[in-house]
Amino acid sequence: MKLTIAHLYPELLNLYGDGGNLIAMKNRLNWRNIECDIVNIPLGKPFISSKYDIVFIGGGQDFEQEVILNDLKGDKTQNIIDAINNDVTFLAICGGYQLLGNYYKTKDGQIYNFIGALDLYTIGQSKRMIGDFMYSCPEINNQLVVGFENHSGRTYLGKSVKPLGYIKKGYGNNGEDKTEGARYKNVFCTYSHGSLLPKNPILCDYILQTAVSRKYDITLEELDDSLENKAHNFIANRLK
Amino acid sequence: MYFRKILSLFISKLLIKFLRLIGRGGTALPGKLALKIYPNILSDLSLGVKSIVVTGTNGKTTTSRIISTILEQASFSYFDNRSGANLISGITTVFIENYKKKPEYALLEVDEAAFKTVAKHIDVHYLLVTNLFRDQLDRFGEISHTLENIVKGISFCPKAVICVNADCSLLSTIGRKVDNKLIYYGINQPFSNTDNSLSDAPYCLFCKTKYEYTYKTFGHLGGFSCPNCGYKRILPDIGVNTIQTMTDKYSKVSLLINNDSLNVSINLPGEYNIYNGISAFSIGYALGIDYEILSNSLATFKGGFGRMENISLNGVDTHIILVKNPAGLNNVINYLSTLSKPFVLTLILNDNFADGTDVSWIWDVLFENLKVNESMISHLYIAGIRKYDMALRIKYALLQEEKITVCETTKQLIKIISNPNLISDTSYILPTYTAMFDLRTVLKKQFKLKEFWK
Ligand SMILES: [Zn+2]
Repeated sequence: MKLTIAHLYPELLNLYGDGGNLIAMKNRLNWRNIECDIVNIPLGKPFISSKYDIVFIGGGQDFEQEVILNDLKGDKTQNIIDAINNDVTFLAICGGYQLLGNYYKTKDGQIYNFIGALDLYTIGQSKRMIGDFMYSCPEINNQLVVGFENHSGRTYLGKSVKPLGYIKKGYGNNGEDKTEGARYKNVFCTYSHGSLLPKNPILCDYILQTAVSRKYDITLEELDDSLENKAHNFIANRLK
Repeated sequence: MYFRKILSLFISKLLIKFLRLIGRGGTALPGKLALKIYPNILSDLSLGVKSIVVTGTNGKTTTSRIISTILEQASFSYFDNRSGANLISGITTVFIENYKKKPEYALLEVDEAAFKTVAKHIDVHYLLVTNLFRDQLDRFGEISHTLENIVKGISFCPKAVICVNADCSLLSTIGRKVDNKLIYYGINQPFSNTDNSLSDAPYCLFCKTKYEYTYKTFGHLGGFSCPNCGYKRILPDIGVNTIQTMTDKYSKVSLLINNDSLNVSINLPGEYNIYNGISAFSIGYALGIDYEILSNSLATFKGGFGRMENISLNGVDTHIILVKNPAGLNNVINYLSTLSKPFVLTLILNDNFADGTDVSWIWDVLFENLKVNESMISHLYIAGIRKYDMALRIKYALLQEEKITVCETTKQLIKIISNPNLISDTSYILPTYTAMFDLRTVLKKQFKLKEFWK
């Protein structure tokens, strides 16, 4: 058994330890004897959606946004939309999350059109929303997910997408409506950057299962997550 | 106004004495209070003092210590902020402590985000910017903002001579943005270890085209050039032409200084200390100090205050190396992977404000590279506020679990690592900033270590 992960724009969208999510997915597959290849899709390299089981998009600095928007012109945008409609699993963090939405409006009123795969949009503001945060996820029995957010964009969800979770502590999508992240088909979006998946093994396995189920008729077996849970509980207890 | 100045000086000096009496360094607090009472205190006291400022992401403290060795050997009269209190409050404290002695120079390590504010108050004659890497992004926002802040700080000192790392594509842009006299230093060849760390700056800051590299030293440092707009590395005034020898104690390099060549020995191990050595050299060069004094200083310098500090704990040979961001920690890991004798490794991760409250950065560190030399790691201890996050990182780097111990407290950790019956190998401790302070507080009491603010 083998899954292949595409890492979109690894040279640009790699802020705040996002690579930890790839390390977590790969190891947690390997520990169940499922092979895992990670393929980098940098600027200029075509994205052939049928080759991949999981697509990972990280967060980036504003400076790099324009470079990416240029690269998305052409086939890439349509290929990403096709992959999403074909139930490929996506994990998109922060800037990558915003990119899957309809547009980004800067605080000066300038509008950048994004991929438009998900019905959501983002509005820039000057105040950054930074800190440890925590949200509950309905899909995993309202388990708490802990993470660190650091974003200035406020994201608002349209009717066809659901939030990934509901804020218990911190800001989430926009600091107003208590929602955090977005869910659509097998797409998982969140503002929780860095070591999201290592510290939230239940969410990690839930995401992995969507990709595994598309290909194989198996249920991922449980792992010894005592250390993962210690790291999770430490920050969860601090935020309670 | 005069009254406020006198009051401000009086109270802060009293506070300095009191804090020392109760055994605390108290390096920032007196200055903070003094600035509250009399906001012009730093501008007033620094009048007529020529400041040498060291800023940048990594290597500030080590480089400052090398420069201070140079100033001593060249018989300059100076004072410095060697406790590492590098924000405006700490810098104000050292000016208060030294205003009566009237030394000619002040050697100041300044936080890269604080430089803009500090430069407004003091008279910067020489500025060294070591490098720019991602560091505590939760505090600074984005790396390009840090660069903008440094350029803004330079606008307050138009006469300052600036020494800058030619290999850093971010910093090298300063040359196009300011009219100051610039001295470039750099390394003209790749390091021996193939570098596989992330680049913090893959795209041209001027036209957003991907840089091409003839070689890399580490991260985004190296022989970069933009194929589109022509922005590229400048051949440095002081360049390392060849790295002759590297041992676990020192490195020998040959420098090309304009047209002169000079062999120097840098009395610290590790590739990143070659950068620290030549950046300090470039400040000495700017000050017009003889090559002989400069190379002698580099060859005899001894590390201090946590940056590659060597101490003995009940006979256990212990090295403490401060780590605070991926670039710095990757360098230390590269160094550890060259060791040919078994060693004990301790990682201490805190998430206080001064450490950066976001610990995600540990996932950007290539701990997987420790596997290369895993047979030399006799044991790995993990401690600090975020010890479980660090332990998790190590688990996912697939290091042998039976070699890993998580210590609940610093005291428990020290009990183990200072026990020569348990630790027979050289011990390397890698703490984050506040973890190093905690560690030192306990070690100071138990092993009578030198007071760090002296
Ligand atoms: Zn260019």
